[in-house]
Amino acid sequence: MNENARRAAELIRSYDGRPLRIMEVCGTHTHEIFRLGIRGMLPEGLRLISGPGCPVCVTPVGYIDEALFLALERGCTVCTFGDLVRVPGTSGSLASARTEGARVQMVYSPIDAQGYAEAHPDEQVVFLSVGFETTTPASCIAVRNAKGRGLANFSLLTANKTMDNAYRALKGSADAFLYPGHVSTMTGTAIYRELLGEGVSGVVAGFTASELLAALAVIVRMSERGEPFFVNCYPRVVSDEGSVPARRIVSEMMEPVDSEWRGLGVIAGSGLRLKDGFADFDARVKYDVPTIEGRANPGCRCGDVLQGKISPNACPLFGTACTPEHPVGACMVSSEGACSAFFKYDISR
Amino acid sequence: MEQDRITLAHGAGGRQSARLIHDIFRSHFDNPHFTADDAAVMEAPAGRIAMSTDGFIVSPAEFPGGNIGKLSICGTVNDVACMGARPLYLTCSFVLEEGFPLDALERIASSMEATAAEVGVEIVAGDTKVAKRGQVDGCFITTAGVGQVMEGVAPAGDKAEPGDAIIVSGDVGRHGCAILLARNDFQIEADVTSDCAPLAAGVASLLGAVPDTHVIRDATRGGVGTVLYEICEQSGVGVRLDQEAVPVDDAVAGVCGMLGLDPLYLACEGRVVVIVPAGSEQAALDALRASEHTAGAALIGRVTAEHAGRVVIHTPIGSEAILPEPTGELLPRIC
Amino acid sequence: MCVGLPAKVMQVKDGVAVVEATGARRTVSAELVDDLEPGEYVMIHAGAAIARITSSDEDEADALLDAVLPGGSSADSQARA
Repeated sequence: MNENARRAAELIRSYDGRPLRIMEVCGTHTHEIFRLGIRGMLPEGLRLISGPGCPVCVTPVGYIDEALFLALERGCTVCTFGDLVRVPGTSGSLASARTEGARVQMVYSPIDAQGYAEAHPDEQVVFLSVGFETTTPASCIAVRNAKGRGLANFSLLTANKTMDNAYRALKGSADAFLYPGHVSTMTGTAIYRELLGEGVSGVVAGFTASELLAALAVIVRMSERGEPFFVNCYPRVVSDEGSVPARRIVSEMMEPVDSEWRGLGVIAGSGLRLKDGFADFDARVKYDVPTIEGRANPGCRCGDVLQGKISPNACPLFGTACTPEHPVGACMVSSEGACSAFFKYDISR
Repeated sequence: MEQDRITLAHGAGGRQSARLIHDIFRSHFDNPHFTADDAAVMEAPAGRIAMSTDGFIVSPAEFPGGNIGKLSICGTVNDVACMGARPLYLTCSFVLEEGFPLDALERIASSMEATAAEVGVEIVAGDTKVAKRGQVDGCFITTAGVGQVMEGVAPAGDKAEPGDAIIVSGDVGRHGCAILLARNDFQIEADVTSDCAPLAAGVASLLGAVPDTHVIRDATRGGVGTVLYEICEQSGVGVRLDQEAVPVDDAVAGVCGMLGLDPLYLACEGRVVVIVPAGSEQAALDALRASEHTAGAALIGRVTAEHAGRVVIHTPIGSEAILPEPTGELLPRIC
Repeated sequence: MCVGLPAKVMQVKDGVAVVEATGARRTVSAELVDDLEPGEYVMIHAGAAIARITSSDEDEADALLDAVLPGGSSADSQARA
């Protein structure tokens, strides 16, 4: 451990002020915090809450059902990030659909999915376009490329989401937020200043040990002052203005819609869909996908977990009916999911 | 062009089958015990024997650092070696897809010959079947092997004891990474060759130096992480790993970083996890490092009485984290 | 929510960059970061360079901690923000 990480860790360990609830909004933060064993270093007064920043976890059951419909009923090849493969729909997942003959292709990038469509002209290729501000621009680039090349066999099943309104929905769930480092590369920091004006405290944090410890140390120190604060603790990557080209391509090609977040319900204007000019690349339009009402397992409390209302192990299904091998809720599927992280890394279990 | 590919006639038992056996298998596998009869007949070795079998399916059949032929020899040789045995005889059974190129089969058989020769093991019997196109993927091989267990050694998965040293015989995850790259699903390029290698010599060297070695286990499917969990369960102990001590090739780390994978779960085909009594670690490391395919041996952790059944990682920031238990298919993650 | 990996830019052409992270190379979109040049470091995610990296994480942490820890100059949250 280098000197500054040691100093930060010391500051965190010795915290004995008023109890602080810190929400890590971003699932990759959750994952890294567990992987680095940071929770074990925290004193009693500091509590980390895992928030809803994992696109897999907040994707509603009905979305998986739509993907299964496309794969099984319409015979489409579904290209997806690996994260979604095991997420349960109302009945079955992409993994189980594969055993029934569905074509499911894992990709690293939406742009690769468009490349796959180009290389397989005899297949109808649908990319499962999930993700926040960080991921959405690549989906837009894929569609723009497909349109430019006249590809008729590529489309998106969109479930892209934006964070602004989600931050507001989470207000009050924590005393300070660890804002998502990579979403912020796109959005910039203006939103956090607005939130600061509304009395919401937080810091933008990176993902390495030094960065996470420094960010937590800053939260501890700033909280002692008793005033709302915002600090960009990830300035080597996150600029105040963010990515103008990213916001431009998204606003040119997509428009806001109300969007359902698993557990949080519908948040107005928090989703994105392709504009009418790109309807040929919208899988729902192209393949006439019916409205599907997904049904989550009634015992599943992913929603409360995502809002930080309960700890994952307070859910009645946790570790019994719901495990990483047989997940019931999305929070147990995604390696970023709070339940999965709790189950896999919880040493006290 | 039909002559350049496997046809159903090659598996029908007639002239074509005979020619395939003569041109490819007999020419590569020839040895005094290689049989044209129904079974090979050999002298029985003295003492105990170890016997194992393993099936091999890998796509693509040829990859940087090896092919399915080399893999099929290494896999069974290493399984037998892990029980403290010197591998003596192998059998192999091919299932070939109609249309499989004969020159690829030639290269596969040639690799088997070279690997068997390196180990000093004889391929004494074989079988070939041809399946219709689409029924199998190219070339599947099953090998079985027997070896003579060395005097006075009995490594086993249930013998790990608290305080024991945990050694891995080289950098982890290169085979899995090489295969992932060869499939090119993720369009990543990196100079990664499979770690596929026969480990009988390294294991013999180890057991010569540390005859009371507690556990030797080859880390194939599921990688080193999975093997450590298996040993924890079998021996009723815990494991503490020093994260920074686990050897990982730079390019493997880069590929894993892009895809959100942990090299501890990627398959190896030429790595063993070795557990030796406290105090024997230096002798074990020296003995392993003296052999070509185990030259990269490193001490990576200790067996513990605490947290039985769990692998705990000591992180570079001085904290402890659980290594998550592996769960089935490796899924790259992006978000 | 977004796994990122630091990588070095090797080539840039027509909005596409070849990047390398400890020996692993890939083509990624260079459209989201203005004026990328070979030799620069970027954060990559899902096949796109999402930001330029301007210093090491340890230097960054040093600067932050100097500002907030006893003995360091007082943090000005607005200035930093």
